[in-house]
Amino acid sequence: MSLFCFEMYKTFSRWRTYISFGAIALVVVLIEVVLKLRPEQILYRAIRSFQPGFLISGNILNGWFVTSLIMNSLHVHIPFLITLVAGDIVSSEATSGTVRLLLIRPPSRARVITAKYLTALLYSAGVVFFLGLVCVLLGLSLFGRGDLIAYPQGGFGIVIIPENEVFVRMLLAFSAAVWSMTVVASLAFLFSTLAENSIGPIIGTMAVVIIFFVLGNFPFDFFQDLQPFLFTTYMNFWRRFFDDPISWGEITRSAVILGLHNIGLFLAALVVYRRKDIKS
Amino acid sequence: MKKTVILIGLAFSLIGAGRVQAQEEGAGHLDEVIKRFSLLKDYAVDVKVHFDIETLKAPDMEGRLYYKAPNKMKIESKRVFFFPREGGYFNPAAFKPENFEVSLLEHLLDEGKKAVRLKLIPKEARWPNQGFVLTIDTKRNLIIGIDTFPFGEGGMNASIEYGRFDNFDLPTRIKLQLDIPSNEWNEPRFFGSSPHRTKRISGRIEILYSNYRVNIGISDEIFLEREPAR
Repeated sequence: MSLFCFEMYKTFSRWRTYISFGAIALVVVLIEVVLKLRPEQILYRAIRSFQPGFLISGNILNGWFVTSLIMNSLHVHIPFLITLVAGDIVSSEATSGTVRLLLIRPPSRARVITAKYLTALLYSAGVVFFLGLVCVLLGLSLFGRGDLIAYPQGGFGIVIIPENEVFVRMLLAFSAAVWSMTVVASLAFLFSTLAENSIGPIIGTMAVVIIFFVLGNFPFDFFQDLQPFLFTTYMNFWRRFFDDPISWGEITRSAVILGLHNIGLFLAALVVYRRKDIKS
Repeated sequence: MKKTVILIGLAFSLIGAGRVQAQEEGAGHLDEVIKRFSLLKDYAVDVKVHFDIETLKAPDMEGRLYYKAPNKMKIESKRVFFFPREGGYFNPAAFKPENFEVSLLEHLLDEGKKAVRLKLIPKEARWPNQGFVLTIDTKRNLIIGIDTFPFGEGGMNASIEYGRFDNFDLPTRIKLQLDIPSNEWNEPRFFGSSPHRTKRISGRIEILYSNYRVNIGISDEIFLEREPAR
């Protein structure tokens, strides 16, 4: 526990850790202010499928809607922000020359690496929940409350979620998003144990995420067949919390697959680090 | 030869006369409906909408509907509210005979009640590519069914049940069957796009009306859009 606290202290003592939080705050403020000033386009796109057949009234562009809209960009910027810390957390010891000092202390390599891994996971959770907190607080204050118009995963149409259900579903969705992002953190963490500098793990992780994402979205049968084998396919499972009814089976399946990725990547990192020949 | 020409001419004139008579009879039925509601100036009513549509999953919605003759309508709801544009509310002035080419399709005997089916095609392009088939209860002079027949594809079917409120027969329940093409689908996202295009919105909607207040002198101001749907 003290090792974990020590790692947390080290991580949150670095200014680069706060780049992510600053970037998120900036992006969210920019998006929400622009939406507030020019809501027409997003409103038109949100409900145009139903406008020919229905008169639509009420506060559609509310804080919850804006939050879910920004959540859709999770897979673009959040992985990058997570790799900034998770890709650096092990390799930075080598870069700064503190790795020997760290490993001659009584705690075993396994305990050291576990503490660092837990720190990376906690940081990932912090980034996603910070995004949620900023989106919701700013969104509700700028756009007010209301029922959430959501878009079901992989389907045509809309789901209207009553306001009294939205908070719980949003909390579950953000928790699922945290779970998704831990896979990115685990991958960056593994690369970090392999490298002696931070750039390689950060770029390597982003390359994998982008390549998997692109491959999974190519509209060709060959690439579509690859989808089940790409972890990025399951990372959007948080959106299933906005389905009606909530597809718990799909959620469980995605969560288990992502969890197995986490376990595999962490065990690989553990093996690599335990066998690593420390030369610097 | 002469006889043949005379016979053909006679046949055409008979058909033409029959058609004119059918049009006049149809327009007469519509007139009766409008006359019946000529004293209806406005009404306010609570509406409850139940959706059974695969592509629109929504809880039951409640709101208050305001109508003022001839064609003002407004829905008030504190929550997000979807209300069908066609067939969702009762407007007796919607089918004025002078705005349509009316023809009588058939006489019906529906559960012992006499009814007629009229075909209405708008004279002006107010509803492009669309016409209506109305079923009118000729004893009560009430529209009990509306079908749309777009020249494109898809349409709407409504069946209307009435109750008595302040000497007016007004709808208590409208059941709608929808099958309308949707605009190109494009979910608002910052990254990537949805591949779903040209889908249809199909299913059933049931609207319940209660707590009518009729001819209460609803002000025009209520129909001014104070705050557009954000």
